[in-house]
Amino acid sequence: MKRAVVLLVAATLAADSAELPDFRNIATQAGLDQSFPNGGNESKKYIVETTGSGVAFIDYNNDGLLDIFVLSGPGGTNRLYRNDGNGHFTDVTEEAGLKSNGWSQGVCAGDFDNDGFTDLLVTSWGGLALYRNVDGRRFENVTAKAGLKQDRARYNTGCAFLDYDNDGHLDIFVANYLKFDFATTPKPGENPYCWYRDIAVNCGPRGLPFDHNILYHNNGNGTFTDVSDASGISKPNQSYCLGVLTGDFNQDGRTDIFVACDQTPSLLYINRGDGTFSEEALVRGAALDENGKTMSGMGATSTDYDGDGKPDIFRTNFSDERETLYHNRGSGDFDDATIAAGLARNTRWVGWGCGFFDFDNDGWKDLLLVSGHVFPEVDRLNIDIRYKDRAILYRNNRDGTFTDISELAGPGILERHAARGAAFGDYDNDGSVEIVINNQNEPPTLLKNAHKPAGHWAILKLEGVKSNRSAIGAQVRVTVEGHTQLEEVRSGGSYLSQNDLRLHFGLGSATKMERVEIRWPSGIRQVERDLDADRVITLREPVK
Amino acid sequence: MRGISLAALFFVAALSAQDRVAEGIEEFRQGKYADAQATLEQALRQKPGDPHARTFLALSRAAVGGCDSAANDLSAAFTTSQDADLRRLAGLALAQCHLAHNRVDAALPVVVELEKQFPADADVLYEAAKLHMKAWNDVVFQMFQKTPASYRVNQVSAEIFEVQGRYADAVAEYRKAIEKNPAAVNLHFRLARALLMQSHTPDAMHEAREEFAAELKLNPNDAVAEYETGQILLAENKPQEAVARFERALALAPDFAEALLAVAKLRSDAKRYTDAIQLLERAARLQPENESVHYNLMLAYRNAGRNADALREKDVIDKLQRPPAGEFTEFLKKLGEKAPNQ
Repeated sequence: MKRAVVLLVAATLAADSAELPDFRNIATQAGLDQSFPNGGNESKKYIVETTGSGVAFIDYNNDGLLDIFVLSGPGGTNRLYRNDGNGHFTDVTEEAGLKSNGWSQGVCAGDFDNDGFTDLLVTSWGGLALYRNVDGRRFENVTAKAGLKQDRARYNTGCAFLDYDNDGHLDIFVANYLKFDFATTPKPGENPYCWYRDIAVNCGPRGLPFDHNILYHNNGNGTFTDVSDASGISKPNQSYCLGVLTGDFNQDGRTDIFVACDQTPSLLYINRGDGTFSEEALVRGAALDENGKTMSGMGATSTDYDGDGKPDIFRTNFSDERETLYHNRGSGDFDDATIAAGLARNTRWVGWGCGFFDFDNDGWKDLLLVSGHVFPEVDRLNIDIRYKDRAILYRNNRDGTFTDISELAGPGILERHAARGAAFGDYDNDGSVEIVINNQNEPPTLLKNAHKPAGHWAILKLEGVKSNRSAIGAQVRVTVEGHTQLEEVRSGGSYLSQNDLRLHFGLGSATKMERVEIRWPSGIRQVERDLDADRVITLREPVK
Repeated sequence: MRGISLAALFFVAALSAQDRVAEGIEEFRQGKYADAQATLEQALRQKPGDPHARTFLALSRAAVGGCDSAANDLSAAFTTSQDADLRRLAGLALAQCHLAHNRVDAALPVVVELEKQFPADADVLYEAAKLHMKAWNDVVFQMFQKTPASYRVNQVSAEIFEVQGRYADAVAEYRKAIEKNPAAVNLHFRLARALLMQSHTPDAMHEAREEFAAELKLNPNDAVAEYETGQILLAENKPQEAVARFERALALAPDFAEALLAVAKLRSDAKRYTDAIQLLERAARLQPENESVHYNLMLAYRNAGRNADALREKDVIDKLQRPPAGEFTEFLKKLGEKAPNQ
């Protein structure tokens, strides 16, 4: 009996150590050494200094290698880094035509003109910038030509390309935070919404006027029409909206939109299939926390974390709040599963970028979120809430629960930054997912796992034909040894960021994917069998 | 002719005194208290019994620090005047006079009566707050002077630190109080709460749980300590242990709405929606304004397939979440609705 117990303990320890990652920040050696200004570092006078910015993993030149696009506040520029294929990135911002100046907030990617090259949308306080990818060589700013010039300086935040009417052309959703201008916004300490724990801080969002979200319909000829009113998107106008997450949450074949909102109820726009949406977050259980309280939602991500075949939603929130895990009951109704999943303990962090990814390739998506406070002034309090803080990494226990392994997951996780956007992608196609993080007033972080995951893997690159070329909205179910994983191709997500448009699957000990089922946005269903593991596989939509 | 003339003279004299009263009141309203005092004294010489003149003269005297000479008239106006405005003014001035002279005992019945007659009056409530604050300060001062080494001094210090958000200091003071009087009820509970307000780290929760346990040892009927222990167990992902604590809290206090809610949530998690609905409906009756209760009731109805009931609850939540009219948020929101210069 005594021996059995000892063996059991030893076995548990072995399993634990085998599955622990070792994340290192390799940004500097990879060439990501420029700093990205974003408001004050000691104090922030205005809220616009607090919310930026996002980051993207995209393959802009179709060489099969993920490049990196990092957004900046004023005093710097958004930068595109080309992946040289040898672990190093080269700044190609100038030649790509992406130099900028302003309060860039969010980025999302999608091939809006179906020419085979991934385009970019950048949101800012001030306006939008739609960059058309010209043959993978440079980007052309087509904002005005596309009809996306806005009539006033709007505080655009999260964005996503999505094909809400499944016509094969990518439309655009843009979240709006609030109405802001430097002239009329109160200064720190000027009213009760400009204080944090007795320290005068920048004002808002409470006390600042609401704005509404925007939906642009792709006319199929390179132009867009604002359909916010006609579609019902502009109707909810009492929320401060940030992170955007698209997905078919009620599994009816149409793309819905979840928006994480700050200090106000989050929104869930259910696609009615007739060009309109109804906002149903409250009754569907995805607006508030389990106590019916509004949270300060920042970023959002989705996966089927418990393998029940339904996409769930995770949202990052403010300090002194729990993050929120909404478990999908099916048909798009959610339960708050935060406590049951073991995610309720970390409440001192302000969470931003987040993503489900499988760091050990065991076939179950783990979870990473990055953090950093909105008030640099918080450091004066000498409490356990800090302006710059570390990331949090949860391992999926394969039973609907997670374990916080942050302190055992390598020095990169423990580095402290004022992090915002985070994007996930395998930039060197070795089967291990990397994370690029936008840090305010610092160079980005590039987290790479120095411990090669034991499990096999596959990356699926989908190419739409009848559906939009980027296959955004396609759902993929991969079955291995009786366990089915569900993923969806998404534009935007995390916090104002863009993950790799390709889908990464950990396969555990399996060297083949027994079944790969794709539901394309066009409605076409495709089933592939026995696809080999440990490679990038391109799947083209089968159209007769 | 003479009579007419006399009558006319009397009328003129009366008018004159009346004018003086009005003039004095106006001066009082303008804050010219010394002028008002002189004018009203003159008016009273002309018409000694004028109640308005007497009251406003007393108010003017009180306003310039002459509380002693004003007290009797203020007291008379407060207790006998038929005019509610005068009663209110006199009562407020009288209370202020008593407080200015540290006569808390004398101020108390005046303020109590004012609160009875003018329950939603901001000035009255402000005076009441001042009175209670002063009374509290006086007693605490005495406590610090007369019993500086008592555990109560540490307890009250801790409570003050809590109000100030200085939780680490509060924790330290509660610990000192417990060291001095380990058998005092409520100290372990307050310490546990301060620990949780300070931090939600696993260590803090573990420590707080131990303090709640210590409280329950001293007072096994403390439903709130049972409930708080349940909350910690829940955060530690031990729902089975948590539900036992919540149920015990309910057994001790059947109308404990938060405990009803906690048990209901766990019933919902176990898909026992009918049970959850029963508990939540009871909680909603006990606390009709509790948003958490209505939110969870809405979800329980939804999960039980009672969509019409769920939508009805959604309407209740919508209503509860609307900020009350006149709230500062609304005021700022209205200001914000002015189109920003962009």
